[in-house]
Amino acid sequence: MKKVFVVYSDDNVGTAVVESIRAGDAVRCNGERGDIQLTARDDIAYGHKIALTDIAKGGTVLKYGLSIGSATRDIQAGDHVHTHNVESNRGRGDLAKRDAVGAE
Amino acid sequence: MTAFMGYVRPNGDVGIRNHLLILSGTVYANGVVERVASSIQGAVPITHANGRCQVAPDLRVTRRFLAGTAMNPNVAAVVIIDHFQEQGMTAEDLADDIDPTGKLIATVNIRGAGGFIGAVEKATRYAQDFARQISMYAREAAPMSKILFGTECGTSDTTSGLASNPANGIAGEILIAQGGRMLMAECTEWMGCENWLTEKASNPAVAEAIVAGVQHMERRALASGEDIRGSQPTGDNMAGGLTTIEEKSMGAVKKIGDSPIIEYLEVGEAPSQTEPGNYVMYGPGMGAESISSMAAAGCQVLTFCTGGGHTSNHPIMPTIKVTGNRQSYELMRDTVDVDVSGVFYDEITLAEAGQIVYDEVERVCSGYLTKSEALRDNNSFAIHRIGPSI
Repeated sequence: MKKVFVVYSDDNVGTAVVESIRAGDAVRCNGERGDIQLTARDDIAYGHKIALTDIAKGGTVLKYGLSIGSATRDIQAGDHVHTHNVESNRGRGDLAKRDAVGAE
Repeated sequence: MTAFMGYVRPNGDVGIRNHLLILSGTVYANGVVERVASSIQGAVPITHANGRCQVAPDLRVTRRFLAGTAMNPNVAAVVIIDHFQEQGMTAEDLADDIDPTGKLIATVNIRGAGGFIGAVEKATRYAQDFARQISMYAREAAPMSKILFGTECGTSDTTSGLASNPANGIAGEILIAQGGRMLMAECTEWMGCENWLTEKASNPAVAEAIVAGVQHMERRALASGEDIRGSQPTGDNMAGGLTTIEEKSMGAVKKIGDSPIIEYLEVGEAPSQTEPGNYVMYGPGMGAESISSMAAAGCQVLTFCTGGGHTSNHPIMPTIKVTGNRQSYELMRDTVDVDVSGVFYDEITLAEAGQIVYDEVERVCSGYLTKSEALRDNNSFAIHRIGPSI
Protein backbone atom coordinates (compact mmCIF):
# COMPACT_ATOMS: atom_id res chain seq x y z
CA MET A 1 0.00 0.00 0.00
CA LYS A 2 1.53 3.31 -1.13
CA LYS A 3 0.82 6.50 0.78
CA VAL A 4 -0.12 9.98 -0.40
CA PHE A 5 -0.20 13.08 1.77
CA VAL A 6 -3.33 15.19 2.09
CA VAL A 7 -2.94 18.59 3.73
CA TYR A 8 -6.52 19.54 4.59
CA SER A 9 -9.56 17.35 4.92
CA ASP A 10 -11.47 19.19 2.13
CA ASP A 11 -8.78 18.48 -0.46
CA ASN A 12 -9.60 16.40 -3.53
CA VAL A 13 -5.94 15.76 -4.39
CA GLY A 14 -3.11 14.18 -2.44
CA THR A 15 0.65 14.41 -3.00
CA ALA A 16 3.08 11.52 -3.44
CA VAL A 17 5.63 12.76 -0.97
CA VAL A 18 6.72 9.57 0.76
CA GLU A 19 7.36 7.50 -2.34
CA SER A 20 6.59 7.39 -6.06
CA ILE A 21 3.49 5.52 -7.16
CA ARG A 22 2.98 3.25 -10.18
CA ALA A 23 -0.27 2.81 -12.07
CA GLY A 24 -2.20 -0.02 -10.45
CA ASP A 25 -0.73 0.54 -6.99
CA ALA A 26 -3.13 0.54 -4.07
CA VAL A 27 -2.98 3.96 -2.40
CA ARG A 28 -3.98 5.21 1.02
CA CYS A 29 -3.99 8.66 2.62
CA ASN A 30 -2.66 10.05 5.85
CA GLY A 31 -4.38 11.56 8.85
CA GLU A 32 -8.06 12.45 8.73
CA ARG A 33 -8.37 10.99 5.24
CA GLY A 34 -7.08 7.60 6.32
CA ASP A 35 -10.43 6.11 5.28
CA ILE A 36 -9.78 6.81 1.59
CA GLN A 37 -8.33 3.93 -0.37
CA LEU A 38 -8.02 3.92 -4.11
CA THR A 39 -6.07 2.51 -7.00
CA ALA A 40 -3.68 4.70 -8.95
CA ARG A 41 -4.65 4.93 -12.64
CA ASP A 42 -1.38 6.63 -13.65
CA ASP A 43 2.20 6.72 -12.49
CA ILE A 44 2.54 9.48 -9.89
CA ALA A 45 6.11 10.74 -9.52
CA TYR A 46 7.46 11.96 -6.18
CA GLY A 47 5.99 15.40 -5.48
CA HIS A 48 3.09 14.98 -7.94
CA LYS A 49 -0.62 14.84 -7.21
CA ILE A 50 -3.27 12.15 -7.46
CA ALA A 51 -7.04 12.75 -7.58
CA LEU A 52 -8.77 11.39 -4.47
CA THR A 53 -12.27 11.79 -5.96
CA ASP A 54 -13.74 12.27 -9.41
CA ILE A 55 -13.50 15.94 -10.49
CA ALA A 56 -15.75 16.98 -13.37
CA LYS A 57 -14.45 19.23 -16.16
CA GLY A 58 -14.57 22.82 -14.84
CA GLY A 59 -14.56 21.59 -11.25
CA THR A 60 -12.30 23.08 -8.61
CA VAL A 61 -9.11 21.32 -7.65
CA LEU A 62 -8.57 21.72 -3.92
CA LYS A 63 -5.27 21.58 -2.07
CA TYR A 64 -4.68 23.33 1.26
CA GLY A 65 -8.50 23.42 1.34
CA LEU A 66 -8.30 26.10 -1.38
CA SER A 67 -8.62 26.27 -5.14
CA ILE A 68 -5.38 25.67 -7.01
CA GLY A 69 -7.14 25.75 -10.40
CA SER A 70 -9.88 24.15 -12.49
CA ALA A 71 -10.10 20.79 -14.22
CA THR A 72 -9.79 21.13 -18.00
CA ARG A 73 -11.26 17.67 -18.53
CA ASP A 74 -13.05 15.07 -16.44
CA ILE A 75 -10.65 13.67 -13.87
CA GLN A 76 -11.22 10.27 -12.25
CA ALA A 77 -10.14 9.25 -8.77
CA GLY A 78 -6.64 7.82 -9.09
CA ASP A 79 -5.62 10.01 -12.06
CA HIS A 80 -2.41 12.02 -12.14
CA VAL A 81 -3.42 15.67 -11.62
CA HIS A 82 -1.12 18.19 -13.27
CA THR A 83 -0.84 20.71 -16.11
CA HIS A 84 -2.41 18.29 -18.63
CA ASN A 85 -5.77 18.35 -16.83
CA VAL A 86 -5.69 21.48 -14.62
CA GLU A 87 -5.36 25.16 -15.47
CA SER A 88 -4.67 28.20 -13.37
CA ASN A 89 -7.43 30.73 -12.79
CA ARG A 90 -4.99 33.48 -11.86
CA GLY A 91 -2.59 35.73 -13.75
CA ARG A 92 -4.36 34.76 -16.99
CA GLY A 93 -3.34 37.57 -19.31
CA ASP A 94 -4.43 35.37 -22.22
CA LEU A 95 -8.00 35.16 -20.89
CA ALA A 96 -8.13 38.90 -20.18
CA LYS A 97 -7.05 39.54 -23.79
CA ARG A 98 -9.65 37.12 -25.17
CA ASP A 99 -12.40 38.72 -23.07
CA ALA A 100 -11.35 42.19 -24.22
CA VAL A 101 -11.49 41.12 -27.88
CA GLY A 102 -14.89 39.50 -27.31
CA ALA A 103 -16.22 42.71 -25.79
CA GLU A 104 -15.40 44.80 -28.84
CA MET B 1 1.08 32.92 28.92
CA THR B 2 4.67 31.81 28.74
CA ALA B 3 7.72 33.94 29.29
CA PHE B 4 11.16 33.98 27.78
CA MET B 5 14.41 35.38 29.09
CA GLY B 6 15.40 38.49 27.16
CA TYR B 7 17.16 41.82 27.32
CA VAL B 8 14.77 44.65 28.18
CA ARG B 9 15.79 47.81 26.33
CA PRO B 10 15.29 51.40 27.54
CA ASN B 11 12.25 51.85 25.22
CA GLY B 12 10.55 48.69 26.49
CA ASP B 13 11.48 46.49 23.53
CA VAL B 14 12.92 43.11 24.45
CA GLY B 15 15.88 41.63 22.61
CA ILE B 16 16.73 37.95 22.45
CA ARG B 17 20.40 38.71 21.80
CA ASN B 18 22.71 41.41 23.12
CA HIS B 19 24.71 42.45 20.09
CA LEU B 20 27.25 45.21 19.61
CA LEU B 21 26.91 46.38 16.02
CA ILE B 22 29.70 47.93 14.00
CA LEU B 23 27.64 49.52 11.25
CA SER B 24 28.93 50.71 7.92
CA GLY B 25 27.14 53.82 6.66
CA THR B 26 28.56 53.42 3.18
CA VAL B 27 30.37 50.81 1.11
CA TYR B 28 33.56 52.87 1.56
CA ALA B 29 33.54 52.35 5.33
CA ASN B 30 33.39 48.56 5.10
CA GLY B 31 37.16 48.11 5.56
CA VAL B 32 37.22 50.08 8.81
CA VAL B 33 34.13 48.26 10.05
CA GLU B 34 35.65 44.83 9.43
CA ARG B 35 38.91 45.82 11.15
CA VAL B 36 37.18 47.21 14.24
CA ALA B 37 34.81 44.24 14.58
CA SER B 38 37.70 41.79 14.36
CA SER B 39 39.30 43.43 17.42
CA ILE B 40 36.30 43.35 19.72
CA GLN B 41 34.76 40.32 21.38
CA GLY B 42 31.25 39.65 20.15
CA ALA B 43 31.13 42.65 17.81
CA VAL B 44 29.02 42.08 14.68
CA PRO B 45 30.08 43.91 11.50
CA ILE B 46 27.34 45.06 9.13
CA THR B 47 28.77 45.80 5.70
CA HIS B 48 27.04 46.30 2.37
CA ALA B 49 27.42 47.78 -1.11
CA ASN B 50 25.06 50.74 -0.70
CA GLY B 51 24.87 54.26 0.70
CA ARG B 52 26.52 56.08 -2.18
CA CYS B 53 25.36 57.30 -5.60
CA GLN B 54 21.89 55.91 -5.13
CA VAL B 55 18.67 57.52 -6.35
CA ALA B 56 16.71 59.14 -3.53
CA PRO B 57 14.06 56.42 -3.07
CA ASP B 58 16.81 53.80 -2.91
CA LEU B 59 18.81 55.85 -0.41
CA ARG B 60 15.73 56.03 1.80
CA VAL B 61 15.40 52.24 1.69
CA THR B 62 19.10 51.90 2.55
CA ARG B 63 18.70 54.26 5.50
CA ARG B 64 15.63 52.36 6.69
CA PHE B 65 17.51 49.04 6.51
CA LEU B 66 20.63 50.33 8.29
CA ALA B 67 18.88 52.31 11.01
CA GLY B 68 16.25 49.60 11.41
CA THR B 69 18.88 46.91 11.87
CA ALA B 70 20.53 48.98 14.61
CA MET B 71 17.12 49.70 16.19
CA ASN B 72 16.30 45.98 16.32
CA PRO B 73 15.86 44.96 19.99
CA ASN B 74 18.63 42.35 19.57
CA VAL B 75 21.14 45.19 19.32
CA ALA B 76 22.40 46.75 22.55
CA ALA B 77 24.91 49.22 21.17
CA VAL B 78 26.10 50.50 17.81
CA VAL B 79 29.21 52.18 16.43
CA ILE B 80 28.45 53.78 13.05
CA ILE B 81 31.26 54.49 10.62
CA ASP B 82 30.91 56.62 7.51
CA HIS B 83 33.13 58.50 5.14
CA PHE B 84 31.49 60.73 2.56
CA GLN B 85 28.71 62.85 3.95
CA GLU B 86 25.99 61.61 1.62
CA GLN B 87 23.00 63.89 2.04
CA GLY B 88 20.36 62.26 4.21
CA MET B 89 22.59 59.29 4.87
CA THR B 90 25.35 60.40 7.24
CA ALA B 91 26.35 58.57 10.41
CA GLU B 92 24.62 61.38 12.31
CA ASP B 93 21.39 60.87 10.31
CA LEU B 94 21.45 57.19 11.20
CA ALA B 95 22.22 58.01 14.84
CA ASP B 96 19.21 60.37 14.90
CA ASP B 97 16.97 57.55 13.69
CA ILE B 98 18.33 55.09 16.25
CA ASP B 99 18.47 57.51 19.19
CA PRO B 100 14.82 57.17 20.37
CA THR B 101 15.54 53.54 21.29
CA GLY B 102 17.87 54.79 24.02
CA LYS B 103 20.69 52.40 23.16
CA LEU B 104 24.41 53.21 23.15
CA ILE B 105 25.45 54.96 19.93
CA ALA B 106 28.75 56.39 18.67
CA THR B 107 29.65 57.79 15.26
CA VAL B 108 33.01 58.00 13.51
CA ASN B 109 33.74 59.76 10.24
CA ILE B 110 36.83 58.38 8.52
CA ARG B 111 37.95 61.72 7.10
CA GLY B 112 37.16 63.45 10.39
CA ALA B 113 39.25 60.89 12.32
CA GLY B 114 42.27 61.43 10.09
CA GLY B 115 41.88 58.47 7.76
CA PHE B 116 41.70 54.71 8.10
CA ILE B 117 44.08 54.31 11.02
CA GLY B 118 42.57 57.15 13.03
CA ALA B 119 39.04 55.89 12.38
CA VAL B 120 39.93 52.34 13.40
CA GLU B 121 41.48 53.63 16.62
CA LYS B 122 38.58 55.90 17.52
CA ALA B 123 35.91 53.34 16.68
CA THR B 124 37.75 50.52 18.45
CA ARG B 125 37.88 52.56 21.66
CA TYR B 126 34.12 53.22 21.47
CA ALA B 127 33.48 49.56 20.70
CA GLN B 128 35.64 48.33 23.59
CA ASP B 129 33.78 50.60 26.00
CA PHE B 130 30.37 49.52 24.67
CA ALA B 131 31.29 45.81 24.71
CA ARG B 132 32.15 46.05 28.39
CA GLN B 133 29.07 48.10 29.28
CA ILE B 134 26.63 45.74 27.58
CA SER B 135 28.35 42.71 29.07
CA MET B 136 26.67 43.74 32.33
CA TYR B 137 23.17 43.58 30.81
CA ALA B 138 21.32 40.51 32.09
CA ARG B 139 18.42 38.51 30.75
CA GLU B 140 15.13 38.85 32.58
CA ALA B 141 11.71 37.31 32.18
CA ALA B 142 9.53 38.90 29.49
CA PRO B 143 6.22 37.85 27.93
CA MET B 144 6.16 36.25 24.48
CA SER B 145 3.84 39.10 23.44
CA LYS B 146 7.03 41.15 23.01
CA ILE B 147 8.13 38.94 20.12
CA LEU B 148 7.86 39.95 16.48
CA PHE B 149 8.38 36.61 14.71
CA GLY B 150 9.50 36.80 11.08
CA THR B 151 9.08 34.00 8.62
CA GLU B 152 10.60 33.19 5.26
CA CYS B 153 10.81 30.30 2.82
CA GLY B 154 13.54 29.50 0.35
CA THR B 155 14.82 26.64 -1.79
CA SER B 156 11.28 25.36 -1.47
CA ASP B 157 10.37 21.92 -2.70
CA THR B 158 7.29 19.75 -2.68
CA THR B 159 7.60 19.21 1.08
CA SER B 160 7.59 22.95 1.88
CA GLY B 161 3.93 23.70 1.32
CA LEU B 162 2.92 20.41 2.92
CA ALA B 163 4.96 20.34 6.10
CA SER B 164 7.43 23.06 7.06
CA ASN B 165 5.29 26.04 5.97
CA PRO B 166 1.96 24.96 7.52
CA ALA B 167 3.80 23.83 10.68
CA ASN B 168 5.27 27.31 10.79
CA GLY B 169 1.82 28.85 10.41
CA ILE B 170 0.68 26.82 13.40
CA ALA B 171 3.71 27.97 15.41
CA GLY B 172 2.79 31.56 14.54
CA GLU B 173 -0.76 31.03 15.80
CA ILE B 174 0.61 29.72 19.10
CA LEU B 175 2.65 32.92 19.46
CA ILE B 176 -0.25 35.17 18.43
CA ALA B 177 -2.50 33.47 21.01
CA GLN B 178 -0.02 34.78 23.60
CA GLY B 179 -0.18 38.31 22.25
CA GLY B 180 2.74 38.09 19.82
CA ARG B 181 3.02 39.21 16.21
CA MET B 182 4.08 37.37 13.09
CA LEU B 183 5.56 38.99 9.98
CA MET B 184 5.64 37.58 6.44
CA ALA B 185 7.31 39.35 3.49
CA GLU B 186 8.03 38.08 -0.06
CA CYS B 187 4.94 39.57 -1.73
CA THR B 188 6.06 38.06 -5.05
CA GLU B 189 4.81 34.81 -3.59
CA TRP B 190 1.35 36.13 -2.73
CA MET B 191 0.36 36.16 -6.39
CA GLY B 192 -2.54 33.84 -6.95
CA CYS B 193 -3.69 33.87 -3.36
CA GLU B 194 -4.43 37.53 -2.73
CA ASN B 195 -7.99 36.55 -1.81
CA TRP B 196 -6.81 34.17 0.90
CA LEU B 197 -4.80 37.07 2.35
CA THR B 198 -7.32 39.88 1.88
CA GLU B 199 -10.00 37.81 3.64
CA LYS B 200 -7.82 38.08 6.74
CA ALA B 201 -7.21 41.82 6.39
CA SER B 202 -8.30 43.69 9.50
CA ASN B 203 -9.59 46.61 7.42
CA PRO B 204 -10.14 47.50 3.73
CA ALA B 205 -6.98 49.63 3.52
CA VAL B 206 -4.85 46.61 4.41
CA ALA B 207 -6.66 44.51 1.81
CA GLU B 208 -6.14 47.16 -0.89
CA ALA B 209 -2.46 47.50 0.01
CA ILE B 210 -1.94 43.75 -0.30
CA VAL B 211 -3.44 43.69 -3.81
CA ALA B 212 -1.53 46.84 -4.82
CA GLY B 213 1.74 45.39 -3.47
CA VAL B 214 1.44 42.26 -5.60
CA GLN B 215 0.52 44.33 -8.67
CA HIS B 216 3.50 46.62 -8.09
CA MET B 217 5.91 43.71 -7.83
CA GLU B 218 4.37 42.21 -10.95
CA ARG B 219 4.82 45.48 -12.87
CA ARG B 220 8.47 45.66 -11.77
CA ALA B 221 8.98 42.16 -13.10
CA LEU B 222 7.21 43.06 -16.36
CA ALA B 223 9.37 46.19 -16.75
CA SER B 224 12.42 43.97 -16.64
CA GLY B 225 11.10 42.22 -19.75
CA GLU B 226 10.10 39.15 -17.78
CA ASP B 227 6.52 38.04 -17.28
CA ILE B 228 6.53 36.23 -13.97
CA ARG B 229 3.12 34.87 -14.82
CA GLY B 230 4.67 32.93 -17.67
CA SER B 231 7.53 31.70 -15.53
CA GLN B 232 5.65 30.77 -12.38
CA PRO B 233 5.62 28.01 -11.43
CA THR B 234 9.16 27.60 -12.76
CA GLY B 235 10.12 24.66 -14.93
CA ASP B 236 11.69 22.83 -12.01
CA ASN B 237 8.62 23.58 -9.88
CA MET B 238 6.44 21.93 -12.53
CA ALA B 239 8.78 18.97 -12.91
CA GLY B 240 8.54 18.66 -9.13
CA GLY B 241 4.76 18.46 -9.33
CA LEU B 242 3.55 22.06 -8.80
CA THR B 243 0.81 22.73 -11.34
CA THR B 244 -0.28 26.37 -11.00
CA ILE B 245 0.87 29.67 -9.48
CA GLU B 246 -2.02 29.38 -7.01
CA GLU B 247 -0.62 26.09 -5.76
CA LYS B 248 2.90 27.44 -5.41
CA SER B 249 1.80 30.65 -3.70
CA MET B 250 -0.62 28.87 -1.41
CA GLY B 251 2.18 26.64 -0.19
CA ALA B 252 4.27 29.75 0.49
CA VAL B 253 1.67 31.86 2.30
CA LYS B 254 0.75 28.94 4.56
CA LYS B 255 3.76 30.13 6.58
CA ILE B 256 1.21 32.25 8.41
CA GLY B 257 -1.93 31.00 10.06
CA ASP B 258 -5.52 32.22 10.06
CA SER B 259 -5.23 35.20 12.45
CA PRO B 260 -6.15 38.62 11.06
CA ILE B 261 -3.59 40.63 9.09
CA ILE B 262 -3.24 43.78 11.16
CA GLU B 263 -0.96 45.92 9.02
CA TYR B 264 0.72 46.12 5.63
CA LEU B 265 4.30 47.42 5.73
CA GLU B 266 6.70 48.83 3.18
CA VAL B 267 10.00 46.99 2.78
CA GLY B 268 12.04 47.28 6.01
CA GLU B 269 9.35 49.32 7.77
CA ALA B 270 8.62 48.63 11.45
CA PRO B 271 4.99 47.94 12.43
CA SER B 272 3.18 50.90 13.99
CA GLN B 273 0.70 48.56 15.70
CA THR B 274 1.24 46.25 18.66
CA GLU B 275 -1.99 44.30 18.22
CA PRO B 276 -1.44 40.52 18.15
CA GLY B 277 -1.84 38.96 14.72
CA ASN B 278 -0.21 38.69 11.33
CA TYR B 279 1.68 41.49 9.61
CA VAL B 280 2.71 41.47 5.96
CA MET B 281 5.46 43.36 4.15
CA TYR B 282 6.16 44.35 0.56
CA GLY B 283 9.43 42.93 -0.65
CA PRO B 284 11.28 40.56 -2.94
CA GLY B 285 11.51 36.80 -2.79
CA MET B 286 15.31 37.09 -2.62
CA GLY B 287 16.12 35.51 0.73
CA ALA B 288 18.90 37.71 2.13
CA GLU B 289 17.11 40.96 1.22
CA SER B 290 13.83 39.63 2.51
CA ILE B 291 15.08 38.48 5.91
CA SER B 292 17.14 41.68 6.27
CA SER B 293 13.96 43.68 5.66
CA MET B 294 12.28 41.78 8.49
CA ALA B 295 15.26 42.30 10.83
CA ALA B 296 15.09 46.03 9.98
CA ALA B 297 11.39 45.96 10.87
CA GLY B 298 12.33 44.70 14.33
CA CYS B 299 11.86 40.92 14.15
CA GLN B 300 13.88 39.36 16.96
CA VAL B 301 13.65 35.84 15.54
CA LEU B 302 12.94 34.26 12.18
CA THR B 303 12.05 30.82 10.90
CA PHE B 304 13.38 29.98 7.46
CA CYS B 305 11.40 27.13 5.92
CA THR B 306 13.49 25.29 3.39
CA GLY B 307 12.97 22.13 1.40
CA GLY B 308 16.48 22.00 0.04
CA GLY B 309 18.32 23.04 3.21
CA HIS B 310 19.12 26.76 2.95
CA THR B 311 22.25 28.23 4.60
CA SER B 312 20.76 31.69 5.20
CA ASN B 313 21.47 33.27 8.59
CA HIS B 314 21.07 36.91 9.55
CA PRO B 315 23.87 38.51 11.61
CA ILE B 316 21.63 39.78 14.43
CA MET B 317 18.33 37.95 14.00
CA PRO B 318 18.63 34.24 14.84
CA THR B 319 17.46 32.34 11.76
CA ILE B 320 15.93 28.96 12.55
CA LYS B 321 15.93 26.66 9.54
CA VAL B 322 12.98 24.28 9.33
CA THR B 323 12.65 21.51 6.75
CA GLY B 324 10.09 18.89 5.84
CA ASN B 325 12.58 17.04 3.67
CA ARG B 326 14.33 14.32 5.64
CA GLN B 327 17.10 13.93 3.08
CA SER B 328 17.89 17.65 3.25
CA TYR B 329 17.99 17.46 7.03
CA GLU B 330 20.45 14.58 6.91
CA LEU B 331 22.64 16.33 4.32
CA MET B 332 22.52 19.70 6.10
CA ARG B 333 22.43 18.51 9.69
CA ASP B 334 24.93 21.19 10.81
CA THR B 335 22.80 23.95 9.30
CA VAL B 336 19.10 23.00 9.44
CA ASP B 337 17.69 23.26 12.96
CA VAL B 338 14.32 21.55 12.85
CA ASP B 339 13.11 18.47 10.94
CA VAL B 340 9.33 18.13 10.63
CA SER B 341 9.39 15.43 7.93
CA GLY B 342 7.85 13.07 10.49
CA VAL B 343 4.43 14.29 9.33
CA PHE B 344 4.91 12.22 6.17
CA TYR B 345 5.80 9.02 8.02
CA ASP B 346 2.97 9.03 10.59
CA GLU B 347 5.47 9.93 13.32
CA ILE B 348 3.97 13.31 14.18
CA THR B 349 0.85 15.26 13.24
CA LEU B 350 0.99 18.67 11.61
CA ALA B 351 -0.21 20.20 14.88
CA GLU B 352 2.68 18.50 16.68
CA ALA B 353 5.07 19.76 14.01
CA GLY B 354 3.78 23.28 14.70
CA GLN B 355 4.41 22.86 18.39
CA ILE B 356 7.94 21.57 17.69
CA VAL B 357 8.66 24.70 15.62
CA TYR B 358 7.17 26.95 18.28
CA ASP B 359 9.16 25.28 21.07
CA GLU B 360 12.37 25.84 19.11
CA VAL B 361 11.47 29.51 18.61
CA GLU B 362 10.82 29.94 22.33
CA ARG B 363 14.14 28.29 23.25
CA VAL B 364 16.04 30.48 20.80
CA CYS B 365 14.31 33.55 22.25
CA SER B 366 15.75 32.63 25.66
CA GLY B 367 19.26 32.34 24.29
CA TYR B 368 19.61 28.89 22.72
CA LEU B 369 21.98 29.29 19.76
CA THR B 370 20.80 28.26 16.30
CA LYS B 371 23.17 25.96 14.43
CA SER B 372 24.30 28.79 12.14
CA GLU B 373 24.79 31.17 15.05
CA ALA B 374 27.09 28.66 16.72
CA LEU B 375 29.08 28.54 13.48
CA ARG B 376 29.02 32.36 13.13
CA ASP B 377 27.78 31.88 9.56
CA ASN B 378 26.40 35.42 9.31
CA ASN B 379 25.87 35.43 5.57
CA SER B 380 22.53 37.15 5.04
CA PHE B 381 22.60 40.90 5.39
CA ALA B 382 21.49 42.50 2.11
CA ILE B 383 19.66 45.70 1.23
CA HIS B 384 16.80 45.66 -1.25
CA ARG B 385 17.41 47.93 -4.23
CA ILE B 386 14.69 49.54 -6.25
CA GLY B 387 16.73 51.70 -8.64
CA PRO B 388 20.06 51.90 -10.45
CA SER B 389 23.36 53.27 -9.19
CA ILE B 390 23.95 56.72 -10.64
